[in-house]
Amino acid sequence: MADNAEKVYVCRCEEITREDIAKAIEEGALTLSGIKKRTHAGMGLCQGRTCRKLITEMLKGKKDPAEILPPTVRPPVRTIKISELIEGDE
Amino acid sequence: MKVKADIAIIGGGVIGTSIAYNLAKRGKKVILAERYDHAAGATGSCDQHIILQSKNPGIHLQLALASAEIYKTLERELDAVVDYRQDGGMILIENEEEMKVMLDFTARQKKIGLDVEILDRRDAEKRQRGLAKHLLGATYSPQDAHIDPLKMNLAFARAAGRLGAEILLETEAVGFIRQGGRVRGIKTNKGDIFADLVINAAGAWAPLIGEKAGLKIPIKPRRGQIVITEPVSGYIIGDILSAQYIVAKYNPDLLAKSDNRAIQLGVGLALSQTEKGNILIGATREFVGYDLSNSREGLKEILKNAARLVPGLAQMNFIRVMSGLRPYTSDGLPLIGPVQGLEGFFMAAGHEGDGIALSPVTGRIVADLVCEGRTFMDVSAFDTNRFALY
Repeated sequence: MADNAEKVYVCRCEEITREDIAKAIEEGALTLSGIKKRTHAGMGLCQGRTCRKLITEMLKGKKDPAEILPPTVRPPVRTIKISELIEGDE
Repeated sequence: MKVKADIAIIGGGVIGTSIAYNLAKRGKKVILAERYDHAAGATGSCDQHIILQSKNPGIHLQLALASAEIYKTLERELDAVVDYRQDGGMILIENEEEMKVMLDFTARQKKIGLDVEILDRRDAEKRQRGLAKHLLGATYSPQDAHIDPLKMNLAFARAAGRLGAEILLETEAVGFIRQGGRVRGIKTNKGDIFADLVINAAGAWAPLIGEKAGLKIPIKPRRGQIVITEPVSGYIIGDILSAQYIVAKYNPDLLAKSDNRAIQLGVGLALSQTEKGNILIGATREFVGYDLSNSREGLKEILKNAARLVPGLAQMNFIRVMSGLRPYTSDGLPLIGPVQGLEGFFMAAGHEGDGIALSPVTGRIVADLVCEGRTFMDVSAFDTNRFALY
């Protein structure tokens, strides 16, 4: 059971566990962006749509929630094919 | 907070942390102040190339070759995995004019010791499938490599920390402690850091730090936008650039005069694939001040250019884009060394798009100069005082 408790996947896309996130926080990550850069959580297919909220919860213990800035979320909103952007306007 | 160190470093990117590591290794007491976090600037928003072929034949390439030597054993030295892979690299050539430039470029690179050759289209296709039919060929060097820049930055920081360096995140340099004519430390939002020497390693933000010391540092932020695809199985081998990229890099004036939008945006192909399978597609080279946004136009021109050279990319999905500010200098060389007339202040910035590639050697040179007053190679070309700083 103890083993399983540690294997809670917070970011499914990149397979990052609760333990990985906790380690990053312990190392000094204070922002969602800091967690992303240390663990790759939020870098996968869904771009953090699920894990962003869970990680914010975990950061609350370290920092005033009002000070936890949102990470830079970049387009596209949904995964799109490269040809669609190239031909989109033409 | 009121702390004291031998050396205070401003900037926790790959250059600042490499310097922190190298100085801590020599027994110096180091404190590093970082405004946000590691990899918050160009280090966290770049591609992953350690490409030698793109370097101007001359002191620039010599510096990169020296850095590449250090890279070979760096993972062992730092006891860290940074996904270093030496898979070689190619620069795609589209027309006779580019071929002429690249023949000359590679001939001069060979003289400096780079292993590089020109492949015809068929041999280029053997190394990388899916190249556009109109290509004449490509240069190839087995010495090109790539790395995970985030892991590299954190590995330097952790190794520096193990050696006693103190790293202060979310600590912003707001001014300098002056005594007589010299700098005695940094004022930060968290308090004063006293030090015998302050090193400005703030990359594209180095001129803003310089201003606080009354200096005009001639570094300009140059925006590079990059597109990231979903992970796919092995497709891009090593690093791939286009000869057009070399032109974009070394001839900014030419770009300004062109009426082609892609050329004005400084678009040049920079392709590579990560360990996880994401393909990084770059990049623009734009002067837009400190604007870190992505533009639809920039992204479109990057992708159009990439799909023109490697048509299969058009069928892939992309999941993210990013944009970073590279610290540009007018002669393409970094500023490394003390500043005349301002004792206690030292520059280590201005690597433009080569910060990752040049971070190991920059750390070593800075540690050499600070501790011994000299280093293993002629670094006069990087002398901070070649520019008017006041």
